[in-house]
Amino acid sequence: MIRIASVSALLQVALPNAARPAVVAVGILYFAVVLGISVWAARRTRTAADFFVAGKGIGLVALTVASVSVSVSGFAFIGGPGFIYAVGLGAMYLVLPAAVTNVMGAWVLAKRMRLLGEARALITIPDAIGARYRSRGAQGLSAVAILVGIVGYMATNALAMGVVINSIFGVGLGWGIWIGMGVTLAYSASGGILAGIYNDVFQGTLMAVASVLVFLFVLNFGGGLGEISRTILAHDPTFLGPWGKLTPLAALSFFFVFSMGSLGQPQAVHKYYMLRDPLQLKWYPLLKTLGLVLVLLLYFSVGVAVKAFVLSGRLAPLASPDQATPVLLLNVTPIILAALVFSGVAAATMSAANSFINIGAAIVTHDLPVAFGRRVKNELSWGRAVTVLIAIAAAITAQRSGTMVAFLGIFGWGLFASTLVPALAVGLNWQGATRAGAMASIATGLIVTLALETAAYRKVFTFPAGVTASAVAMVSSFLVFFIVSWLTRRTAQTEIDPDVKLVMEL
Amino acid sequence: MTEPITTTPAPITRMSAPGEDATRRAALVALFFGISAIASGYLAAFSAAGTPTWAAWLLALGIPIALSAIMILGAARGRRGIGPLKIPFAFVVVVLVIGFGAALALPATEGPLSTLWFGLPARAAIVIYGVGLLPVVVLPIAYALTFETQTLSAKDVERVRALALENQSAKENAAREPIDGRLGG
Repeated sequence: MIRIASVSALLQVALPNAARPAVVAVGILYFAVVLGISVWAARRTRTAADFFVAGKGIGLVALTVASVSVSVSGFAFIGGPGFIYAVGLGAMYLVLPAAVTNVMGAWVLAKRMRLLGEARALITIPDAIGARYRSRGAQGLSAVAILVGIVGYMATNALAMGVVINSIFGVGLGWGIWIGMGVTLAYSASGGILAGIYNDVFQGTLMAVASVLVFLFVLNFGGGLGEISRTILAHDPTFLGPWGKLTPLAALSFFFVFSMGSLGQPQAVHKYYMLRDPLQLKWYPLLKTLGLVLVLLLYFSVGVAVKAFVLSGRLAPLASPDQATPVLLLNVTPIILAALVFSGVAAATMSAANSFINIGAAIVTHDLPVAFGRRVKNELSWGRAVTVLIAIAAAITAQRSGTMVAFLGIFGWGLFASTLVPALAVGLNWQGATRAGAMASIATGLIVTLALETAAYRKVFTFPAGVTASAVAMVSSFLVFFIVSWLTRRTAQTEIDPDVKLVMEL
Repeated sequence: MTEPITTTPAPITRMSAPGEDATRRAALVALFFGISAIASGYLAAFSAAGTPTWAAWLLALGIPIALSAIMILGAARGRRGIGPLKIPFAFVVVVLVIGFGAALALPATEGPLSTLWFGLPARAAIVIYGVGLLPVVVLPIAYALTFETQTLSAKDVERVRALALENQSAKENAAREPIDGRLGG
């Protein structure tokens, strides 16, 4: 949900050196567990379906924790609290949508994606789009859109990994990138998504435990939320206003992009294929929402508490807002808690990188060949090979210009949202949607996002406060989808295969 | 690396194709208007005189409408519509509209002497606890309680699996059939 800012936050923050013996020891222990899980998963990965969708054999609890892990990213621990520290409660509009997004995804996508997987043995999101519209063109176009988003995410996640690992072990940014990507690659290439899922379970559990412990510690240290609020209200009442220091339009815009846009995030949507028994979806939204609430406790509590501690003089003013979590951990909390959180941040970035590597490999070895009417002979072997190539390319790109890499990461969320939400989320629930509407919508999302983000990056154009490229691209893509589908409505019913129609009507 | 892909024939089935039902039609119209309201809010922000106050109101109304509409679209079950889910969906729309509306409409009175609600000033508490927590309590539980009747039953899964098997054997039979038999019409 909040990956959009995770990367840029981690890129902009110069994390302090946390290389204390306890932090290093917990970090080494963390990497040892990750490698152990990877070896176990590699022995169980025998086919392309195992590699890309874990053989559709993941249980409810494992899938839920893994999904929480990939949804949150390191932003919940570093960038998010820093954002609250900077703009007040307005920053909560990035995470408030979590109250509705999981159940919304369950109603709109989970059942239909899982049943399509059952009916057609699908393994990717472009597969679902191709099946829905009976169109290799739509499948290929959505694959290209996802691949463009992944290029940015991978480079930025590689750099974020380097920043965190350098902070924990003090090895330098360059080595941090290679170590982080090397470990991620080891489990991505050997165990595919199966290794990713079980590492996500471990990493998600670590994040939840760290978040709850920090939340309880901070409230206790600050004398409770009421006392913390009183301190802030005495110095800076706007901070605790309903929009914080943002304009209402900006805060509501965050809510829109991060709620509706969640339906197009491949790393989360792709997981619907993997559930062993479709009937287990019953408890999925409840468990995932509760998991997210636990992980996000740190986001809220650290951002607000550090503001109060700085205002009351218990902490020195921060050099930059993103220092909120590291400064609190290294100066206030017990060192073992700091160690857990730093490992949690490393876990979050690696979990994200693994998901995107896997999805990217599936696009290159499966969706793009299918779009051109071809089929790769050995998808498992080629999947592993492409996984290695994507990881190396991302690590090399991450070593280059930080500004360029940050730019690549900014548009990922909006690109996925604007290209996939109408065609996939609405398309799977509306038989009147047409192939032309889907392709026009995907193309609109891709072009508008890239054009507006590039113009904003090059300072050719400045948006009014509260308006973002992601939001404009998403509403444009929706409107184009409706209008073109309406104009081509005569073809709608003939474009749906009967088994897909059954899945849409259930 | 690649080999030619065999064209996947359209699966054959006896299933009829009913038209869109009233609930889904209404949800689509609501989704379109919700998104249009949000788009209008953004458009207004480009005004030379600055963002008008009502632009935020368009988002405050458009977002709950669009989100609930897409949820209804996903939850609607043929001609049965959304059944008992009407209540939780209505609840969420009301909570979001009241939450955003209160934050926009109530005067800014936050200060050292503000009354705190569960540790936060009133307007912030309405947003954080109302918008951020109340739907957590209601929606996932409504989803679970209506899952078998409204979302997915074992019988539904069996239907899809049976159809998949039927299509698989149709494909295999088509592959085994002599080419002249297929062309004979």
